[in-house]
Amino acid sequence: MYAFFLFELRRLVREPRLFIFTVFMPVISYVVFTGVGDISGQSEGVPLVTAMTIGIAAYGAVLGAMSVGSGVANERVSGWLRQLRLTPLPPIKVVAVKGLLTTLAAIPSVIAVGITGRVQHHVTMPIAHWALLVLVLWLGTIPFALLGLAVGYTLPPQIAQPATFITFFTLSILGGLLVPVEVFPRWLRHFSEVLPSNRYAELGWKAAAGHLPSAAGGTILAGWTLLFAVLAALAYRRSTATR
Amino acid sequence: MTPAVILDDVSKSFGAVRAVDGLNLTIEAGQTVALLGPNGAGKSTTIDIMLGLSRPERGTVRLFGVSPDRAVQGGKVGAMLQDAGFVPNATVRDLVELARALYPAPLPTSEILRTAGLTELADRRLDKLSGGEAQRARFAFALAGDPRLLVLDEPTAAMDVATRQSFWAAMRRYSATGHTVLFATHYLEEADDYADRVVMIARGRVVADGSGAQIRSLTGGRTVAFDLVGGGTVGLDRLPGVRSVAVHGDRASLRSDDSDATVAALVHSGRLFQNLEVGAAGLQEAFLTLTAAGGPAGRDASPIAAAGGDPTTASGA
Repeated sequence: MYAFFLFELRRLVREPRLFIFTVFMPVISYVVFTGVGDISGQSEGVPLVTAMTIGIAAYGAVLGAMSVGSGVANERVSGWLRQLRLTPLPPIKVVAVKGLLTTLAAIPSVIAVGITGRVQHHVTMPIAHWALLVLVLWLGTIPFALLGLAVGYTLPPQIAQPATFITFFTLSILGGLLVPVEVFPRWLRHFSEVLPSNRYAELGWKAAAGHLPSAAGGTILAGWTLLFAVLAALAYRRSTATR
Repeated sequence: MTPAVILDDVSKSFGAVRAVDGLNLTIEAGQTVALLGPNGAGKSTTIDIMLGLSRPERGTVRLFGVSPDRAVQGGKVGAMLQDAGFVPNATVRDLVELARALYPAPLPTSEILRTAGLTELADRRLDKLSGGEAQRARFAFALAGDPRLLVLDEPTAAMDVATRQSFWAAMRRYSATGHTVLFATHYLEEADDYADRVVMIARGRVVADGSGAQIRSLTGGRTVAFDLVGGGTVGLDRLPGVRSVAVHGDRASLRSDDSDATVAALVHSGRLFQNLEVGAAGLQEAFLTLTAAGGPAGRDASPIAAAGGDPTTASGA
């Protein structure tokens, strides 16, 4: 299983699109969004610029997890998963490794945007808060990784990719990852608060202030995680059902 | 000794189509067996069932006495499938090392690369391989774990002639070390040249089972071939002994039960001809005869029972 993990990790690191999606795009978005308009003031219990740093880091992390997860569509269609089934490696371990790698794809964005924020806008917080931030933004991608895998095990590659992007953009804009929810009308703000993307970023905002996740946020994220886990499990079972 | 493969009365349908229809097949450990049949005969479905990728509606499958899933998990099986693809961003060496790590007692890396003819391509990315090279990489992945049973579905598709020859040489070395090899093919020469035993299937049933020579002798007869020199083909089918007439360009090929009588009559007919050749009917003809006849019940398939169908070689007249 470790050999399979290393094999897949090496493939992931060599994938140029991963760098574009999880490092280049979030950093450019960050520079643009924090470069226009006033970024003084407070938001989500931290300085606005810190909140925006975390929001855009979360945006890249969600994109990384979802795109790597839905990328399983290619492996399914190419017959690679079928080939693996004819080796002694049990299918459940294949899925476990895929899931772990998918969440790991979230980390480059958090680090790249964090460094850009530190350099460009002198975003500061205690080192322990940075560490907590990376940890929660890593673990918090679990629902998105599951959603990506559900898409990848269900849809053909040429549909999985646009479906992933549409879902991702909807979740990040409505979740307040790019624009703070304070500028939303009240009804939209309430809607935003039940989205997994908003509650995911909230993990980061709390961490930056040195707080643990809120009970409401944790419950909502757990609910989405459960839903996406069921969807991913069903999709996986359907795709591997013996004909 | 436990047979490597037992398929007992296995059936499988896709909608109204019976892909595999009461198929019986036992392969003793150490044999090299060709599964020979035209496209759509049920070869790939049979292999899928054998490997546990597809569940039969009826019948049982045993590999070395256990279920296909257990045999696969135990590292006893290596397979090279037609539709098994690779993933980008990994090299040939990465792939081989992965396979080695997954099996309990793998072959040395250098030996795998050499056997599959990939030593020079070891550091090439999988997505940069040509069709024939990718086939060799599939072969490397299948044999890396030194599996007791190696299953190859149409292994030489997409290979050029030179690659094909080196592939079969490698396969022979592998089977010579006591491994069981089953390969599916619709190349009749491959089955004849490289297998100890040829199992011919059509419409999901075994229609013939024996050595390549036995399969060829099933249909008996010889071919009488010659260039037509101006003369037409009218009357050729009425020459003594002739069962069928095929014409390719200017060359006529007669299947005859009595080639002596056919040739004598041809000479006496005053018909002009050139480049006369009399030869044993090839596996190609045997194949057409047997598969066109639809075959007898799979359960009782034997060389004798399978013989006697009408050939379908079309008359070119």
